[in-house]
Amino acid sequence: MTIFSIRTLPAAVAATLLGLYCAAPAYCDDYPANSLRAGLYSVFYHVSAENLQGPYVPPGANIDAKNVETLYLAYVRSLTPNLDFELTAGYPPLQKTVGKGPATLGSVPYNGQVIATARWIAPTALIEYVFFDPGAKLRPFIGAGVNYTTFYDRDSTAAGDAASGGPTKLSLTRSIGPAGSVGLAWNLGSNWHMYGSYNISRVNTDLTADTAGVIRTTHIKFGPQTLVVSLGYSF
Amino acid sequence: MFKLLTLSSVALSAALLCACGGSSSPTATVAASTAHGTLALNPPFRIASLNAAALQAELSTSSSGAALLKITGNPSCGVDFYYVKFWTLGGAATPEVTQSSGALMVPTGAAPTCSGPRPIVLYAHGTNTDKTLNIADITNSTNSEGVLIAAMFAAQGFIVVAPNYAGYDISTLGYHPYLNAAQQSGEMIDILTAARAALPKTLSAATSDSGKLFITGYSQGGHVAMATQRALEANGAVVTGAAPASGPYAMEAFGDVLLFGDVDLGSTVFTPLLTTSYQKAYGNLYNTPSDVYSSSYANGIETLLPSDTPLETIFADNLLPQTAEFDSTTPVVSIPGNPVLSAELTALLSVPGSPGYPLPPTAQTPLFALGFGSPYLINNSYRLSYALDAAADPDGAVPTPTPGAKLAATVPVQPLRQAFYKNDLRNGGWSPNSPTLLCGGDQDPTVFFSVNTGTMASFWSPLVQAGLITVLDVSGTPAGPFAELQSGFQASQAQELAALIAGGSSPAAAGQTLVEDYHAAVAPFCMAAARAFFSEL
Repeated sequence: MTIFSIRTLPAAVAATLLGLYCAAPAYCDDYPANSLRAGLYSVFYHVSAENLQGPYVPPGANIDAKNVETLYLAYVRSLTPNLDFELTAGYPPLQKTVGKGPATLGSVPYNGQVIATARWIAPTALIEYVFFDPGAKLRPFIGAGVNYTTFYDRDSTAAGDAASGGPTKLSLTRSIGPAGSVGLAWNLGSNWHMYGSYNISRVNTDLTADTAGVIRTTHIKFGPQTLVVSLGYSF
Repeated sequence: MFKLLTLSSVALSAALLCACGGSSSPTATVAASTAHGTLALNPPFRIASLNAAALQAELSTSSSGAALLKITGNPSCGVDFYYVKFWTLGGAATPEVTQSSGALMVPTGAAPTCSGPRPIVLYAHGTNTDKTLNIADITNSTNSEGVLIAAMFAAQGFIVVAPNYAGYDISTLGYHPYLNAAQQSGEMIDILTAARAALPKTLSAATSDSGKLFITGYSQGGHVAMATQRALEANGAVVTGAAPASGPYAMEAFGDVLLFGDVDLGSTVFTPLLTTSYQKAYGNLYNTPSDVYSSSYANGIETLLPSDTPLETIFADNLLPQTAEFDSTTPVVSIPGNPVLSAELTALLSVPGSPGYPLPPTAQTPLFALGFGSPYLINNSYRLSYALDAAADPDGAVPTPTPGAKLAATVPVQPLRQAFYKNDLRNGGWSPNSPTLLCGGDQDPTVFFSVNTGTMASFWSPLVQAGLITVLDVSGTPAGPFAELQSGFQASQAQELAALIAGGSSPAAAGQTLVEDYHAAVAPFCMAAARAFFSEL
């Protein structure tokens, strides 16, 4: 790549994005191009994790995650009358990880115990195709995009510390994976809409637990499925 | 308007994303200091936590565990098993800094005998050739000594502290300072210091140190325990009681009988551990290993033990002889101007039981004879140099017992004997200040009872107040406070013999098996005696 092309690339990308912002000027004049949505996320994790690996781990020790509900926030930009760009970033919920497998590790309760908590941020960018005319009362939509998930405030609980053998430091790798959605928009009038959608994404992360230098690991596949009910305002 | 909203959403995303590097709960703190006695990781890792019922159930699943429960009694407390890492020093003249590891076993449970202030038992383990030994790892089925001390002490309300020793497990020392009294006692004190620092930070903080300190150990650990008692008392520390068991305390006397042909069971394993340890400590045992070892085994002997390779494989690969400590061809002694002594010594160095061997046969003569063969471990020239030193400057206990059973009158000249002299626990004239139980079995073919326990008892006899020292021979005629225990041991030996014969062994073969297993069989009974002894203090 030449110096010239390096310098001109950002400009080309910017021009393309500007084109997307208002690819149909007439549409932009007739209907609000932006909307903000807020609502409720109900997250079903569908965890599939390998058994924990490392020293002093009995066979079959595994983990699961409790489903959560949290605040849904999204910004949507209409690119064309039937094409939206959605950026979703829900309020980071407190995810509770529970032990799965043996009832006890030694004499320490394990199965079903909340052994760790973490908050995650999972911004998802979607391109959605919205059926029918923008003025229609009901508009189904279908979308595809990419999900980025990262975890923070990772804490081993007292039960987790007891099961792990002491204070435990947790790390979870970031994940980028596909995401999809189907839903229905209900035009309430006066730029207000009610939305209901079903979303699915793929999250892969490697968990490392460090207890006084004793390292246990597992690879976790989440297939989070979310049900969203939200209210949106267009402007 | 659009620009503002776009910026807001970007700001929102940025605010959320900036938490990516967010915090995680901490784990153990790594000590900045490598000073000996420093706890390297605080709090230590808990390998397992078993309540009393779970521990009993776990032990009951194996025949050996069930047999052990008959001696220890059922657990009355749960036990938390911690893996302690600490800094200590090696055995060289300029001691190496090394990390070592060990066990902290903490009794748990609601009963007042299981939590709150509890006494500490500082335990030293016996000879083990497995370099990966971790006595804290109760999940390892080969960790029989860890199970023994857990069931015997921790499950009955004693906090147990036990090192794996430098050279084992995580230690990168590269050798083990085997029976180096200064190093091993120092390491025991180091893990005690580290464990005391660790205890309040553990998950078992409801149990605390009462201030009572008991010291015990078995076999090699018997020597280590006694050396630790000596070192602590020299430091002015309070030792509530000690019970070293079946240990090679009188190293000079033990070495003398060995080199004169009373080859103990296991000597081909003990010898490389000893010579490497003392070569590292004193640097004068040899110029090259072939000064000591025959050409069949000299190569690689310094790094042979402890090892990741099973001992059976080491024997099978001809890296060590199983029993042939000495050359079956007798060395000829030639002392200028003293043909009579030369002839006597030559005869004494011949194979026990062979024609010309001057001593009358005993029950152990066939066992001693197994210590001779070809290929053999120790060169005749080295053996001869030792024997001449012993003859010129004899130990006070062997071959002829003298009052007080003192060490040789002068410091030995022969380097190995000199090392034994330095690490003989009579050295320095020390005697215990605290109540001490010396337990063992007088049929022990591995660590001779009379040469070691008997010698120490004789040596201390004129030095200590009456009643401070208790000697227990589990094979002796049942009498006194330990009569039940002696009867129990002897009954277990009879049952084992009967079981072997019932299993198809000939009486001779069954008897041989019993002899081979004797040293290990005594251990739980001596530990039971130690517990009973401690419980009275």
